[in-house]
Amino acid sequence: MTVLLTILAVAVSVLFVLPAVWMLFGSLAPGNSVISNVSPLSWHTLIPRKWTLSNYRELFGALGFLRPMFNSLFVTFASVAIGLALSAPAAYALAVVRFRGREVIFSLLVIGFMIPFEAIAIPLAHVFTDWNLDNTYVALILPGIGNGLAIFNMRQSFLGVPASLREAAVIDGASDFRILSRIYIPLNGTTMINSGLLIFMGQWTAYLWPLLIVSSDSKQIAAVALARTYTSSLFDFGQLFAAALVISIVPAVVLFVLQRHFSISIATSGER
Amino acid sequence: MEKVPVKTNRAGEAAPGASPSKRTRGSRMARSQLRTAVIFLAPAVLAIALLRLLPFGEAVWDTLFKSEGFGVLAEEKFAGLENYVTLFTDVSFLQTLGRTVVFNLIINPLQIALAMAVSVLMTRKMFGRGLWRTAVFLPSTIPLVGSSVAWGIALRPDGPVNALLGLFGIGSQPFFTSSHQALASIILVASWIGIGHWMIFLIGGLNSVNQELYEAASIDGANGWRTFWSLTVPLMRRPLLFVLVADTVANFVLFVPMQMLTNGGPENSTTVLMFDVYQRTYTFSEPHIGAAATVVLTVIMIIIVSIQFRLLGERDK
Repeated sequence: MTVLLTILAVAVSVLFVLPAVWMLFGSLAPGNSVISNVSPLSWHTLIPRKWTLSNYRELFGALGFLRPMFNSLFVTFASVAIGLALSAPAAYALAVVRFRGREVIFSLLVIGFMIPFEAIAIPLAHVFTDWNLDNTYVALILPGIGNGLAIFNMRQSFLGVPASLREAAVIDGASDFRILSRIYIPLNGTTMINSGLLIFMGQWTAYLWPLLIVSSDSKQIAAVALARTYTSSLFDFGQLFAAALVISIVPAVVLFVLQRHFSISIATSGER
Repeated sequence: MEKVPVKTNRAGEAAPGASPSKRTRGSRMARSQLRTAVIFLAPAVLAIALLRLLPFGEAVWDTLFKSEGFGVLAEEKFAGLENYVTLFTDVSFLQTLGRTVVFNLIINPLQIALAMAVSVLMTRKMFGRGLWRTAVFLPSTIPLVGSSVAWGIALRPDGPVNALLGLFGIGSQPFFTSSHQALASIILVASWIGIGHWMIFLIGGLNSVNQELYEAASIDGANGWRTFWSLTVPLMRRPLLFVLVADTVANFVLFVPMQMLTNGGPENSTTVLMFDVYQRTYTFSEPHIGAAATVVLTVIMIIIVSIQFRLLGERDK
């Protein structure tokens, strides 16, 4: 039984991984050989006859992919930092501070932020253009900072911290800001990392918004630059694969580095 | 402030029966709590107002007007609900709505059923389980643009998928260029990265199911299929419902493959609501009708998210 299940699992894995492996090998094969080697079908359809790094050289050289990659990295990390700085105090206030109308604010924030941003991206683009914010990093960063799931997760996690800890700190004269940064955030490291990852993935995969708000090449992010290359008629398969691989590798590396801390709590929190 | 613990209830107000001086102190604490709440919540509330409420309001406002005339001579005129009437009497919009619903009725159950099947498989005892799990999860780190590029090339007439089909004697398929196959091909693009993503949530749920229940079921002689339907599925109700709603929200605004691969075609077969809003606003330059479609989309999303919020809210208790 164990052997049969293993065989089945291997088969499923191959189905999922094969397209990615094909992309990897395609990026290491010269020019359009990834398609010209398709027929007749042979091992060389997958494995290059000739290995080369020229696609990557072209990508970061003539195609100027370095700039959009830098833009993507900058926008994403800035969004994570600002997003966490905005979400953590909000979650703290919603979890431990008692005030009238707390439930209403909580609902407003979470429902508001959980409405997919894409739904209102087009009218927001008009607003931002009126304010002359188009083609700015500010415009690229702002929509990434609010994440309902991040606030929700942090609040759930903060609720688990014993109230006596905060009471003791208050008696010692600590401010709420200090209590948040010295007690609540360190005690909920995993949740903070998960929330950061949510913002990270949201911004790294953003496509519609940068398409709408950025027209200058110097501010464009990597995903849109890649899509532009794909839809232009003069593309080179090897370079496309190299670009697709480069934008995929960043989140993969981040996720695997943080894997130890990475746990999805949302679907299961409250079960225990 | 004196370092004397004050007996307060959780609302930070003085406990009933406290002396008058303590009550004053309680209200002072309540005031300071309110100040903290305002300062801590202001940036998030401001963000929601600026990034969600304002554009939604802007969209609603836009739907009440129409442009008359052309180019620079165009005049904005109050139109009442005319744009909505135009939209809902437009056969192609009604078709788009229907297509969006059908698309979601197919892609969401499909992705969740496959994610569930893979999750159950990947939580069984086997050799090298972590490795196979990682393999299925790996594509979910690829942005949709990457998946679109890969499948856009893989499904070309001269691409490897058609070469493989040829091996089984199946003729070359048009995929993205056929009005019958384009939407199904987009489901493939989205599901390659989607299944691994939802799998992670479901594996989390499966791992928190009490294993003793399975032992009890096997002692009672329940077979695998029966155990799955009468034990696993009911116990997984919450994670499954969460994944269903979150997946529906994500697929309702699916945009990248339509914009990159099919441009809503062929014969509008991949024009779903989100792409329709984009197309009406930018390609057809009908911003007021586009705004009305935005309002329709946003209202549907608010309904779905409210359901999700209720679901998540249950966990508070």
